[in-house]
Amino acid sequence: MAEETLVLFKNIRNPKYDKSLAAYKKSGGFKSLKKVFGMKPEEVVQEVKESGIRGRGGAGFPTGLKWSFMAKGTGKPSYLVANADESEPGTCKDRELMLKDPHMFLEGLMIGCYAIGCHHGYVYVRGEYFPSIKSLNAAVDELYADGLLGADPLGSGFNLDITIHTGAGAYICGEESALLDSLEGKRGHPRVKPPFPAVSGFNGCPTSVNNVETLACMPFILGDNGVEAFKSFGPQNNSGTHLVSLSGHVNRPGVYELRMDVNMKDIIYEYGGGIRNGKKLKGVIPGGSSSPVMTADEVDVLYNFDDLAKKGTMMGSAAMMVFDEDTDVVKLLHRITRFYAHESCGQCTPCREGTHWSRQIVRDFLNGNGSDEKLQRLNRVGGNMMGTTLCALGDAAAMPIQSFVKKFPEEFRKYYATV
Amino acid sequence: MPVFHIDGEPVEYEPGEKVLSAALRCGKIIPHYCYHPGMSVVATCRMCLVDVVDLGNGRPAPKLQTACSMDAAEGMKVETLNPKVEEGRKLVNEFLLVNHPLDCPICDQSGECTLQDYAFEYGSGKSEMDYSKRVNGWRDIGTFVALERNRCIQCSRCDRFTREITGTNEFGMFNRGHELTIDTYADRPMTNKFQGNMADICPVGAITEKEFRFKRRVWKLKKNRSICTGCSTGCNVTIEHDRNEVFRLKPHENQNVNKWWLCDEGRLTYRLMNERKTRIHQPLGRVDGKLEGVSWEEAYAAIAERVADMSPLPEEVLALTDTHASNEELFLLQKLLKDVFSTDNTFCPLPKWEQSESEFFINTLITTDKTPNRAGALALKIKGDAKSAKLKKAIEAELKVVFVLGNPFEAEVEVLEKIKKAQLVVHLGTFHNSWSEIADVVLPGQYYSEKEGTFVNKNQRVQATEIAVHALRRTRPEWRILADLSAALGQQSSYGSSADVFNAMTEQLKAFSGLSYAEICRVGKELRQQTKDSGMKVVKAQT
Repeated sequence: MAEETLVLFKNIRNPKYDKSLAAYKKSGGFKSLKKVFGMKPEEVVQEVKESGIRGRGGAGFPTGLKWSFMAKGTGKPSYLVANADESEPGTCKDRELMLKDPHMFLEGLMIGCYAIGCHHGYVYVRGEYFPSIKSLNAAVDELYADGLLGADPLGSGFNLDITIHTGAGAYICGEESALLDSLEGKRGHPRVKPPFPAVSGFNGCPTSVNNVETLACMPFILGDNGVEAFKSFGPQNNSGTHLVSLSGHVNRPGVYELRMDVNMKDIIYEYGGGIRNGKKLKGVIPGGSSSPVMTADEVDVLYNFDDLAKKGTMMGSAAMMVFDEDTDVVKLLHRITRFYAHESCGQCTPCREGTHWSRQIVRDFLNGNGSDEKLQRLNRVGGNMMGTTLCALGDAAAMPIQSFVKKFPEEFRKYYATV
Repeated sequence: MPVFHIDGEPVEYEPGEKVLSAALRCGKIIPHYCYHPGMSVVATCRMCLVDVVDLGNGRPAPKLQTACSMDAAEGMKVETLNPKVEEGRKLVNEFLLVNHPLDCPICDQSGECTLQDYAFEYGSGKSEMDYSKRVNGWRDIGTFVALERNRCIQCSRCDRFTREITGTNEFGMFNRGHELTIDTYADRPMTNKFQGNMADICPVGAITEKEFRFKRRVWKLKKNRSICTGCSTGCNVTIEHDRNEVFRLKPHENQNVNKWWLCDEGRLTYRLMNERKTRIHQPLGRVDGKLEGVSWEEAYAAIAERVADMSPLPEEVLALTDTHASNEELFLLQKLLKDVFSTDNTFCPLPKWEQSESEFFINTLITTDKTPNRAGALALKIKGDAKSAKLKKAIEAELKVVFVLGNPFEAEVEVLEKIKKAQLVVHLGTFHNSWSEIADVVLPGQYYSEKEGTFVNKNQRVQATEIAVHALRRTRPEWRILADLSAALGQQSSYGSSADVFNAMTEQLKAFSGLSYAEICRVGKELRQQTKDSGMKVVKAQT
């Protein structure tokens, strides 16, 4: 089996590691935090910028840049909110981090709080992640007991609190502004942007919302020689290791920590151990259910943000879903459209009506009532959601529809009505 | 003001203003559903999509932008009519119609429905929706408005209205995705006093007024500007009527008075405009102790004759009025007493009243003073109420002639009993009441919807009503009756219209000087010289 590059998983891959604070400290934990407390916040942001880390939540926005956008001198408190509402179908990487090594993530969160001058960090955890919530709460309790959280941790004079907040099971609350609404106790509806959260976020204060994995990288980046090492893990502009959630018809599904210059083919055949039961590969959804699908011919590509973008798809949250030749693509699309129809918040028109309508059309195909006209209509309805909605959920629902219709038209033909 | 361009035309904007807001102010039409100038911007209907070809820095926006949430910027160029925008609108409209029942023929909003209008203008004319539409169950949400959830397009205006405008929060949005719907919380009926506004702001027929439902198709209604005379706030309204029957009052935007809103109580005042049973239909005179129909000339002649017979002293003449009367009527009544009888014994009831105070503007529309012209009476220095010593002294005198305008002191039996003994009681009014029962001559006036008049609201703002419907055939506006009476009693009187009377007031009265009738009819204007109302008490609004 091909080797992983262990940065985030260095403790998790250690069978003797028991995720306690003592064990984390023994593995070198909180050294970075101590170093960071000796730096100026701007220096921390600068180092993060230099590391070139891009947000691991899906959009791939440079984290250092995001932090430097935080409004300053507003007289309001700043907030850092960790987006642990991991609910993109196929993605299960943050769960691993929170469940098996919560302290690494929390240290990253604390570093982030220091960098943007936030004295109260929040973790918005997906409501269904009961074990993760338990693990995080236990870890936070440990930190308070140890004096690492609360007043004056490590003699830094920087007071810091962390609150674990559980969501109520809505996919849309993974969208940052909907997450903030939900955190404030409102319905989780995405907000109009601008103003962006960096200007007016949680309770109208400057807020940065970052993915769990992004924050978990911080202890490494701010560690000794971390920036250079982090940059070396991938091609330019795609630095660092990342967690790939490999699922579907492979022999060894799971979360792998990989460099950014690994070929997708290798991920499927080396790390994943090839297709189950010796079948042939039919296609891959490369970055969570919202990314455009790839056919078997297209998978010879480096698995990182830019190379996938060149192929007309996206890495998103690095959740690869592999499906073999026996898979019914129309049924697969129906499952995806059903998900988006169920998870659309409903506030804006194209997404509210479009997700449901497209699901109705795909179901019509499954009932054996397909036609060329309906296929075109499906494509059109999907396309009409693209770029016309308030948040990215409309795009997320549209991309699979359009790509499935484009890449697997033959599959739909099976469901045409026979007159 | 800085300028940006819409379709090549320059549009001025205030810094920080949104494209849609600036465009609407300048009369440019950009279709929209969820945007309302009085409420927060949610940018969810996606109908106001525009193409920003130049963001002000030479670069275009990457995709269509919603005008309601787009900040206007110097040098920005916005296109609202190009094929890209039309395509965008078309597809949004298609999405809105996917689940909207096409029940326009039985929908009360039909004719003033923006979805209908935009579908006609921007829609494709055919539907590709092959499946059954979303159906939400029927709900009863109270007495004032009807809710038809199937027609809802989820613009969330009603939701925002109860959160941001009334602050009552009893109405909201439920479920998500295509099942998103509107309802009251916990199955309770609506409680706020401004529910009619929800019907106004609803762009479709999801919320309609129960009072108006199924009474008339809206395109048959003729509309006239007026003011609501239900209380001393003087909200601007349009009176909507057909075949001389008033069907509803709708608020008319006036940022200085009521913004976009009107209370439910005010809306219901339209009922009195159609009242016929208790109306006084023709002049009446007391013949052998009974009131009988007479002609106007007979009535005037009889009054003139009696007055000449009695030749009353100044203290034997009295006029009572209520503050429902317009400025012109009050002025002429005062003038009649001054010129003919050399007295200023004109009294009106001025009870104490309460003004609501609230962080929500709409609550301040409600006052306990349910008459439209108290401030006008004060400006004209008409004084007195049941308890004032002056009035008590005046009614103690041996009264010979008493003029009663409207229905003053209705609850004061003592006053009525005293006046009953006067030798000649002339009642001018629109409805039969206890005064018309004791009067010797009853002269039928006209209701607000039938005549012109100016009123001073609680904030000293002079506003006017205009003629909306035809008055009853044998009635006359009060200002004319008073002018005629003055002539019958030997005075020169040359008022051809209500406006003439108002112009005379602006010349003769300091408080009204400098006002132009045309301006008052349009938006109203505050009195230059303001009178303090000692009867007002500010109380915290209860929501």
